[in-house]
Amino acid sequence: MKTLLFTLLVSTAVWGYGDNALYWVPHQCDEGKKAASAHGGHGRGESAMFAAMNLEGNASARLVLPDLSVKKLEMNLNTVMLPKPPMGGYYALVLNRQTPERIESAVRYLSLHGRPAKVSPTRLTALLKSALEIVPNPLHREHDRYTASKKYRFTVMFQGKPLPDTSVSLETRRSGSTSYRSDAKGNITLTLPNDFENVRVGRTENRPSEFLLTVRNRSGSTDYVSTLSMPYYVNPNDYWQSQELGAGAILIGFLGGMLLYRRTKKEVTHG
Amino acid sequence: MDKLLTVTALRRVVQLFAFVFFVYGALIFATFYTDDKLTQALPALSCAYDMKGGDYCALIPLQHQMDHRVSGLLTQSAKAMEALLPTLITLATVIALIIVLNKAFCGWLCPLGFFQEVIGMIGTKTGITQIVSLGRETVTKVRPVKWFIFLFFVLIFPLLTGIGLLGHEWGSPFCSICPSRILTTVATGDMAQVYVSQAGWGYAALSLLADLLFGLMIALALFVRQPFCRICPILPMQSLFKKVGLLRLVKNGSSHCDNCSSCVKACPMDIFEIQETAHNRNITHTDCTLCGRCVEFCPHDGVMNFKYGPVTVWSSSKEGFKKRTKIDKWWKG
Repeated sequence: MKTLLFTLLVSTAVWGYGDNALYWVPHQCDEGKKAASAHGGHGRGESAMFAAMNLEGNASARLVLPDLSVKKLEMNLNTVMLPKPPMGGYYALVLNRQTPERIESAVRYLSLHGRPAKVSPTRLTALLKSALEIVPNPLHREHDRYTASKKYRFTVMFQGKPLPDTSVSLETRRSGSTSYRSDAKGNITLTLPNDFENVRVGRTENRPSEFLLTVRNRSGSTDYVSTLSMPYYVNPNDYWQSQELGAGAILIGFLGGMLLYRRTKKEVTHG
Repeated sequence: MDKLLTVTALRRVVQLFAFVFFVYGALIFATFYTDDKLTQALPALSCAYDMKGGDYCALIPLQHQMDHRVSGLLTQSAKAMEALLPTLITLATVIALIIVLNKAFCGWLCPLGFFQEVIGMIGTKTGITQIVSLGRETVTKVRPVKWFIFLFFVLIFPLLTGIGLLGHEWGSPFCSICPSRILTTVATGDMAQVYVSQAGWGYAALSLLADLLFGLMIALALFVRQPFCRICPILPMQSLFKKVGLLRLVKNGSSHCDNCSSCVKACPMDIFEIQETAHNRNITHTDCTLCGRCVEFCPHDGVMNFKYGPVTVWSSSKEGFKKRTKIDKWWKG
């Protein structure tokens, strides 16, 4: 019941978002948060439950672990509950749905804490997860996060090869959709928008927002659609950190040092 | 060409390569991710905030472990092994590295040390009067600062944060004031770490201190040798394990040492104790960075030595001293 209610609420709130493509969002129910808390490895207040949006019919969900092993996930309507993470590192949450005329996929990466897997995260991002895929190049680094006003690069891959000259849309809840075109190497570079509202001072005071990248490609008589959805956070330098004051403080420190030089110059042995 | 063939010249080349690796290494030798870094516990100030670096220093995991793991022992939320194992792994990595190179991580590999030496070279070449020695009294006053920073900013404040007695900003306070964080990020074109925070007095104080310290360090480095190294908390951490280091400074002093202070004048850290008479004794001081200048500038045969295990790899000599002083005069004009 809770799941149905959540789906209804989110669907209403994000009407038009995702343009009917499959994508993952964290399910903010108590059950998901309780599971994340019991499992450990998740960040404070995060959920271990995820919902697949725009899902109609059957789809298969799986979790690719940092050591590249794969765990099939059971779908409960459109939600999945992650198991207790056995190791730390990046996980890929993958959803695939196939019909005769359309092949769809949704990918989301999670960074969970725990014993290191000792496998390079580059192998997880390089692993083929669907025919058409948007690959972070690179992902945000461990202990870091996607942040507004910063530039990030992604590569569009089709059947294991970079897909050039293809349109990729970036959507956020508040900024609508923006289109980017992949270059000859399949790369797009974008700046995440600073579109947070009612920002409060302090990193832990603001909830993350979500961004969604969608790519579509037609090959023969088949339509391929793939999404990558990830959270992104307020950039402190846009709000409560002043870079001008920082540069000024460095200058004051430097001038202070030069004053010391003038004072000590006369007192010391000259070299 | 021969006049450039000195240990200092070799050290500059090694420092330059180390700087490129530790500041830009992820672009060439390693990958961007933490899991792919070389050691993740380097006993030198290679910063984790630099997204393009090849490795990062041991102080960041130590602070995080104090905050998130070791504090669990005091709040009784974690078992001893769970609380201490990550710290033991970090320290074991540091010890393994110290065994190989001992304190030479500072004098030969640290990006911040190299940066200060380059600023010093600029100061010398632009005619800024150099302070040859800070004097025994000043050195004695400055020395405890690095222990204070190590104990409070690396261990105690993060531990108190973990048990809830201090705010989140004190979870990694040394990183918040470390000049290497600003230097290495700016060197990669990322200006995000130059800021003053207004998120509370703790954040404001730490960020302001970081910026002031960075500006002050640059100005001081123009006329004082390696100003930040003198208060760097890496030195106390290294010195806890320096006895196991294979590379060390060994002195086999002679009666000449009483009247000669060449080694002390050459020492960029003003370690006046190295002048004292010693007979085949390991004199690697807590402040020593194993830069080798004391060996280069010692005018007596076999008095100052670099030893690696039982093997003497390099000794002071009259000839070496003459050559080195000649180069020094040429360099200073």
